[in-house]
Amino acid sequence: MIKDITIGQYFIGDSFMHKLDARMKIILTMVFIVAIFLCKSFPALGLMVLFTIALVLISGVPMKMVLKSLKPIAIIVLFTSVLNIFYVRGGTELVSWRFIHIGTNGIFTALFMAVRIICLVVVSSLLTYTTTPTMLTDALEKLLSPLKLVKVPVATLAMMMTLALRFIPTLIDEIDRITNAQKARGADLDNGGFIKRAKALIPIIVPLFVSSIRRAYELADAMDCRCYTGGNGRTRMKQMKLMPRDFISAAVTALFVAGIIVLNHFFKAVIVR
Amino acid sequence: MPIISAKNITHLYNKGTPSEAVALKDVSIDINKGELVGIIGHTGSGKSTLVQHFNALLKPDSGTVTVDGVDIWSSKRAAHDARFKVGLCFQYPEYQLFEETVYKDISFGPGNMGLPGDEIDRRVRRAAEYVGLQSDLLDKSPFDLSGGEKRRAAIAGVIAMEPEALILDEPTAGLDPAGRDRVLEMIRNYRERTGSAVLLVSHSMEDVARLADKVLVMNNAGVEMFGTVDEVYSHAQRLRDIGLNIPQISKIMYILSSKGYDFGSAYTVERALELITGKAGVRE
Ligand SMILES: Nc1ncnc2c1ncn2[C@@H]1O[C@H](COP(=O)(O)OP(=O)(O)OP(=O)(O)O)[C@@H](O)[C@H]1O
Ligand SMILES: [Mg+2]
Repeated sequence: MIKDITIGQYFIGDSFMHKLDARMKIILTMVFIVAIFLCKSFPALGLMVLFTIALVLISGVPMKMVLKSLKPIAIIVLFTSVLNIFYVRGGTELVSWRFIHIGTNGIFTALFMAVRIICLVVVSSLLTYTTTPTMLTDALEKLLSPLKLVKVPVATLAMMMTLALRFIPTLIDEIDRITNAQKARGADLDNGGFIKRAKALIPIIVPLFVSSIRRAYELADAMDCRCYTGGNGRTRMKQMKLMPRDFISAAVTALFVAGIIVLNHFFKAVIVR
Repeated sequence: MPIISAKNITHLYNKGTPSEAVALKDVSIDINKGELVGIIGHTGSGKSTLVQHFNALLKPDSGTVTVDGVDIWSSKRAAHDARFKVGLCFQYPEYQLFEETVYKDISFGPGNMGLPGDEIDRRVRRAAEYVGLQSDLLDKSPFDLSGGEKRRAAIAGVIAMEPEALILDEPTAGLDPAGRDRVLEMIRNYRERTGSAVLLVSHSMEDVARLADKVLVMNNAGVEMFGTVDEVYSHAQRLRDIGLNIPQISKIMYILSSKGYDFGSAYTVERALELITGKAGVRE
């Protein structure tokens, strides 16, 4: 289960998408997410799906890895879809039995929601697959730097995020190690009711906290020893610079958004929201 | 009948992903009851992976593991039993301590076995005695112990299950010489008094020579040699080629014999002393 978490996982590669400037990638991802919720007609939805598939192909990340990032959200997608089918009324009535009414509106809404969530997750995992966590936080720091004017400690926040991301794999390893050690002493983690299972986590959580706190102190000491006094005014080893390919990507994304708006305009909207 | 028997086991990590790695390749080995086997090999040779197969923590991608004659993957029950028949103590086991008191922590394993209260109490006290933890330490929080004491408390947590085979993965890593000697002494004691098989994964060929009956040498995910200490350590050149080093004292004995002073071969300082003083007819 824990291995399914793909956030913060980087897929080593050398594709066009890997080379894009991280700042541009973050902005374009946000634009794409807005575009997702603009889609209201079938042709627009189709264009979005095609664009998403094209992005996956360009990124060079294997389809299998992309599908893996969808696994944890499968339940959510299913749940919202089913809810929409029963909840959204209107359109041509298909089923009408006692209090259950299913209309075309409900089905379309469910379909749109499912496709939208899937595209959203795929595109945002492409961002983390093709951008190293360090590049990501550097880019966020740059993008948020205007907030420094209103005294937001952007550099410190960026450092905290870098550290948090850096320690995700370490923590996952640690959980694995402790789980194995307790299993070797006969801990039963997979059977029993909810309460029993929750209790069975104590032998894992306590050592995890103990070692995390120890690690935090060690890290603080190590940073002190290397004269870390806060992130303000720190320079970067890798300077970020916008290249022609970044502007090309921006233009293509703009075209895509325009396409969605045009298709929405000429075709009938099938969902309300 | 061997207590643990592995037949042609192969293990891959991250199967089916770009980072797939072969950690074990067609490994077969029999461990007999009551034997003390040292497991050595360069780092990444698959020692830890191998021992995790013996108590059903890892499932081989192919091949079978039997404990006490039962294929441990033949049923859920068998896998469950293997956890208790084969006690595995990981490297740096002190990071598994979690209870309020040392006593409670040691009783975690026996408690999971579903033993009655008085039997658990008996086992906890006996395990504490084996590892040399004074009874006043049992009521302390495990987080208040010293590093060496924590290590011994954690080992006691595995011993308290009274497994028929005890596996220790680098139990002396990161301890000072005194702490190391106590742990080794404890292993020898435990083995003598219970007659259990003990598997000792170690980077110290001298420690292994001192304690073990047999030595298993791992190299690149496979078994390189398996035999008595004398058999294995006589292949000094081969051991050096696969990134291992025979003990310093063995080298000295080897140099002495090549210069014409042949006292025989020894792998521990004590044995070398015996041989030299014995042959030369002098007293210490
Ligand atoms: N959880 C894991 N995921 C992926 N690969 C792993 C994992 N654990 C071990 N490996 C790989 O399997 C191989 C064998 O590892 P193993 O831990 O068994 O070696 P070892 O002999 O115990 O080494 P050491 O002496 O350093 O403890 C190594 O190449 C290692 O990189
Ligand atoms: Mg190891």
